[in-house]
Amino acid sequence: MLEPALRVRGLKKQYPGVLAVAGVDLDVARGEVFGLLGPNGAGKTTTLEIIEGLTEADAGAIEVLGLDWKRHGTEIRSRIGVQLQSTSLFNKITPREALTLYGGYYPKSRTADELLELVQLKDKADAYHITLSGGQMQRLALAMALVNDPELVFLDEPTTGLDPQARRSLWEVVRRIKAEGRTVILTTHYMDEAEALCDRLAIMDHGRVLTTGTPAELIAQLAIPSVVELSFEGAAPAVDGFDARIGAAVEVRGDLWEIPTPDPKSLLPRLLEAAEAAAIPYQQVHVRRATLEDVFLHKTGRSLRD
Amino acid sequence: MLLWRQFLMEWKLYARDRAAMFWTFAFPVLMLLGFGLIFKGGDTPKLSVVWVQPAQAQAKDEALLKALAQFPTRLLPMSPAEAEARWSRGETAVQVEPTAEGFRMKVNSYLVAQGQMTAQVVQQAFLVSQSQLRGQPMPTLIPVSMESPGHAKSANYAAFLLPGLLGMNLMSMGLFAVGMVNVSYREKGKFRRLAVTPLPKWIFLLGQVLHRLTVTLIQTVFLLLIGRFVFGIVNEGSYLLLTLVMVLGTACFMAMGFALSSFAETSETYAAISNLLFFPMMFLSGVYFTLDAAPKWLQQAVIVLPLSPFLKALRAVFNDGDGLAGHAVGLVVVAVWAALCFGLAVKRFRWA
Ligand SMILES: Nc1ncnc2c1ncn2[C@@H]1O[C@H](COP(=O)(O)OP(=O)(O)OP(=O)(O)O)[C@@H](O)[C@H]1O
Ligand SMILES: [Mg+2]
Repeated sequence: MLEPALRVRGLKKQYPGVLAVAGVDLDVARGEVFGLLGPNGAGKTTTLEIIEGLTEADAGAIEVLGLDWKRHGTEIRSRIGVQLQSTSLFNKITPREALTLYGGYYPKSRTADELLELVQLKDKADAYHITLSGGQMQRLALAMALVNDPELVFLDEPTTGLDPQARRSLWEVVRRIKAEGRTVILTTHYMDEAEALCDRLAIMDHGRVLTTGTPAELIAQLAIPSVVELSFEGAAPAVDGFDARIGAAVEVRGDLWEIPTPDPKSLLPRLLEAAEAAAIPYQQVHVRRATLEDVFLHKTGRSLRD
Repeated sequence: MLLWRQFLMEWKLYARDRAAMFWTFAFPVLMLLGFGLIFKGGDTPKLSVVWVQPAQAQAKDEALLKALAQFPTRLLPMSPAEAEARWSRGETAVQVEPTAEGFRMKVNSYLVAQGQMTAQVVQQAFLVSQSQLRGQPMPTLIPVSMESPGHAKSANYAAFLLPGLLGMNLMSMGLFAVGMVNVSYREKGKFRRLAVTPLPKWIFLLGQVLHRLTVTLIQTVFLLLIGRFVFGIVNEGSYLLLTLVMVLGTACFMAMGFALSSFAETSETYAAISNLLFFPMMFLSGVYFTLDAAPKWLQQAVIVLPLSPFLKALRAVFNDGDGLAGHAVGLVVVAVWAALCFGLAVKRFRWA
């Protein structure tokens, strides 16, 4: 039996004025795609960079592929692949050169051509790094994370700055990495991405892991698997006692009223009748399944993008 | 192998930055050309004397002028107003003004060396003119010649300048260029991606030192060629020894830049601390003036700085064609600095 890909206990990191990581525990099994989900400043990058050996933690124990940083630093580095949140290379290096150069640092490496093909960057293989677009740099960074044929891959916001089509094709790349038997740990702000890619997730906020589980488990944890939405033209009006009348909580979000419910079938007639009676000027009614966004809202009392 | 690839990549990326490369090579060459041409003059330099023209010249005035003409002086006759203006601008070293009974001479305190020498010549000319006026026989004077001490074989200024320029260039490359580039790359996060690879720090650093070493050696070849074909300065000593001294010096100052760069978080801090090191080293190394007047402890402390033993060894080979036997201790000092700084640089180096 192989050691787990990652085991973290009691990780802490204090920056001046902010406890960036406030006691994080994580377990990631081999072959999983594991997601860290959380808003800006949640501590995702700090957590990853400590695990990658870039930042020193104030406290905590880390085992990467069953190895300890103090004694097996070089071996860990040889066996993990890292995409940083922002990768700054020398301005005048080309993707092909960067991949060849970085490949040379490892005991085994994949060819530049193969990797450029994988991330669809062949046509920019010989362009200077500084001339690449944000999305192209992002794809090069992903290719560089795979250059050593790693067992464990860290991707910090791999799809930020990509257009929708490039995002989808990056999801495909991640699925392929998983299919090759590698473990992937990624961070993201995107709910749909987390749901689509991750086998398991940890939701982070203020340096803490709020909850961990598969996307389905997390949603099931909410006793309210559905949400009824009333949409308005322009900003939604104040609730003003309406929630009492229908016997359910109403959350105002932008141009929506959101009413989480375990039983939309019985809520809907009551709701529409009450809305009619109170002359609520809503435009449309929509019933949807609860998402990770709702889990986050429920756990933190605020939306992911706030 | 890894080191070699790292070294080649350094060169490749360096060669793509045309502007930086151009200036690295052009700057010392321009310095040498500039200084060399200014001081090339050739013949014995003349001592300038401002002569304030009297309303009516007397016999004693004519006699002094005639006597002065026999000395290597350049006479600048001008009106009292012109002389006053030139004096105020600080350009005059010595000014002689005839009075009713004799002469008055002013020496510029800011140009002591030149002023004293000129004043002495004027005094001698005055004695000569006095003897002539009185019909006495000419006093016999001790002939004086100007020479550069210790460097008998190549006494022109460019020849003296060249090794100094090589040394300064090394020190500024190491302390300013190399160190600064590293701090700013670190500041911009350009090393972070390397930090997550198993590349050993010492290979990365040594790759850079070797790259800079070759850059500097090429610079040196340029300077030597210009010295040779523009100023006719030749290396009096062995090229092998010259290379040896240059390699040692380069390694020392590059390593110093790397070590220093690990003490600064930002380029601004780095600029400050590198200056803090550069200028004392430059002034205390006896390149510009001797430290005879300095306190004893300072003179002894200065012996352990690497710039002056390096320059001494370089001049010994280049200007005097000597071997390095007399410079063993100095070169050991340089080598120890190189090793310590490199060790410190590797130990303290942080990728981010
Ligand atoms: N080097 C640093 N010095 C001081 N504070 C820092 C440093 N790095 C991060 N922080 C702080 O630590 C907290 C966590 O930052 P971190 O980058 O880990 O968040 P994140 O979850 O990755 O956010 P994002 O989604 O914006 O990337 C933030 O409050 C940030 O300001
Ligand atoms: Mg981040």
